Amino acid sequence: MTAVVAESLTKRFGDVLAVDNLSFTLEAGTITGFLGPNGAGKTTTLRMLLGLSAPTSGRSLVLGKPYAALNRPALSVGAVLEATDFHPGRSGRDHLRMLCRAVDLPDSRADEVLQTVELHTAGRRRVKGYSLGMRQRLGLAGALLGDPELLILDEPANGLDPEGVRWLRDFLRAFASTGRTVLVSSHALAEVAQTVDQVLIITHGSLVVESSLQELTSRVGGTVRIRTSKPDELKEALNRAHLDATSDQQTLLVHGANTDRVGEVAFAAGVPVLELVAEGSSLEEIFLELTSEPSS
Amino acid sequence: MIAQLKAELLKVRSTRTTVGLFAGMIGLTLLIVLLTGLLTHPDSLASKHDQRGLFAPGAVALIFSGIAGVLLITSEYRYGTIRPTFLFTPRRAKVLSAKLTAGLLTGLVFGAVSLGVAIGIGSLILSARGIPSTLSGHDFAVLVFGGLAGTALRGAFGVGLGAILRNQVGAVIALLAWDFVVNSLLFGLAPSVGRFMPTAAADALMGLKTAHLLSPATGGAVLLAWTAALALIGLMLTLRRDVT
Repeated sequence: MTAVVAESLTKRFGDVLAVDNLSFTLEAGTITGFLGPNGAGKTTTLRMLLGLSAPTSGRSLVLGKPYAALNRPALSVGAVLEATDFHPGRSGRDHLRMLCRAVDLPDSRADEVLQTVELHTAGRRRVKGYSLGMRQRLGLAGALLGDPELLILDEPANGLDPEGVRWLRDFLRAFASTGRTVLVSSHALAEVAQTVDQVLIITHGSLVVESSLQELTSRVGGTVRIRTSKPDELKEALNRAHLDATSDQQTLLVHGANTDRVGEVAFAAGVPVLELVAEGSSLEEIFLELTSEPSS
Repeated sequence: MIAQLKAELLKVRSTRTTVGLFAGMIGLTLLIVLLTGLLTHPDSLASKHDQRGLFAPGAVALIFSGIAGVLLITSEYRYGTIRPTFLFTPRRAKVLSAKLTAGLLTGLVFGAVSLGVAIGIGSLILSARGIPSTLSGHDFAVLVFGGLAGTALRGAFGVGLGAILRNQVGAVIALLAWDFVVNSLLFGLAPSVGRFMPTAAADALMGLKTAHLLSPATGGAVLLAWTAALALIGLMLTLRRDVT
């Protein structure tokens, strides 16, 4: 079953194409990281999925229907777009109670989700006294009110301390382990790398990668750092071996290769190797590499 | 829409904003009634017109219920709660209808309390000073029911204005400027036009007999038309605009 379908979603603000012909499908039971640098069009896309903003063209389906056509959508889809969508003078519990009223849920549900996000002791305090982490959790509590099968979260890790990030990761894992679906956006891959099964990466409003996390890691070659006392000779040797290297004094960065290959080239060229490190296997670099390319 | 209305009424009750406005309105009503009732020469409190003026510090309740209506929707845009609101009820017409109804009810409560305070304290002052009441039962009925209808409509009027402007400070300033500047200037300079302004229409609805005011029925119809127009424009814009 598919949980979310985007079909050629496009959003234009005047001359700016914020989202450009974006298509993807999310299967139920997966955790998908929706990644891209700030301003890539992630939030605009989520707003369109959730019926808050109308696409210039294209369409999207959430659990088989346009979001606005779902009957009481909060009972099947939980979403948080901003961590700060609260009236500062209203208590966290009252915020949840007013959402309960709108979909005929009992107030007891507000207390249950406060317990889930570990805010029950702060529920009756006004939101203005909440830390950013508490606000993030209150937002999540609101999304959980209707016991949804799909969660859509925009930058939920923003402003969380390391403990909060781990709490969120564990929570999302537990949520998805029951066969439910999560779409979580982030501008930092590291934040979600340990959580998600698959990634959608967009830059400048277009999809550049749609793959599983494993595929992504193996598909993009890493970078090897090598230090030598004869950098010029090594660079020539690497070039002859069709390897692309950039040098900074004694240190060379070789792109798209592994340490075995670079070590062999250095040995064949007879240059002394002082240091040889595989660097580019970090997802962060893959992400930066993919998203810093100019859109074509 | 019942569910949404319940949500709206809880929103109104769960912050101190409305309570603060409510307290402000009562305080100001009291102040005006006390000052007018105690400091005015008895001769200037004797006529029907004088006593209507004493019992209907209308502007106060009308202004405050208008502001309460404006805040009912603009605070959602200001603090971003409009997003969860629309996520929970994506049919925005339902949300806006619930808000208009909540505006009507809030205005009704504001009007009832303001009129209650003004008529109660005003009557006490009159009897204490030995000034006979000159208003008939019919006059009182027009004052009370017209006043309630006026403040209720003004609550919805505020919601409509807020839905159009969305910016909280801007909408409150627009409302006050409309009442105190546009309405007063037009009514002073060109009463034949100014009497069709919302506040003048609300005064007429309460049976006030200031020169050039419309009849209560016409005043009510004019205020209703203003409110319906703002609500309709607000609804069309709310349905069309993206929520960012």
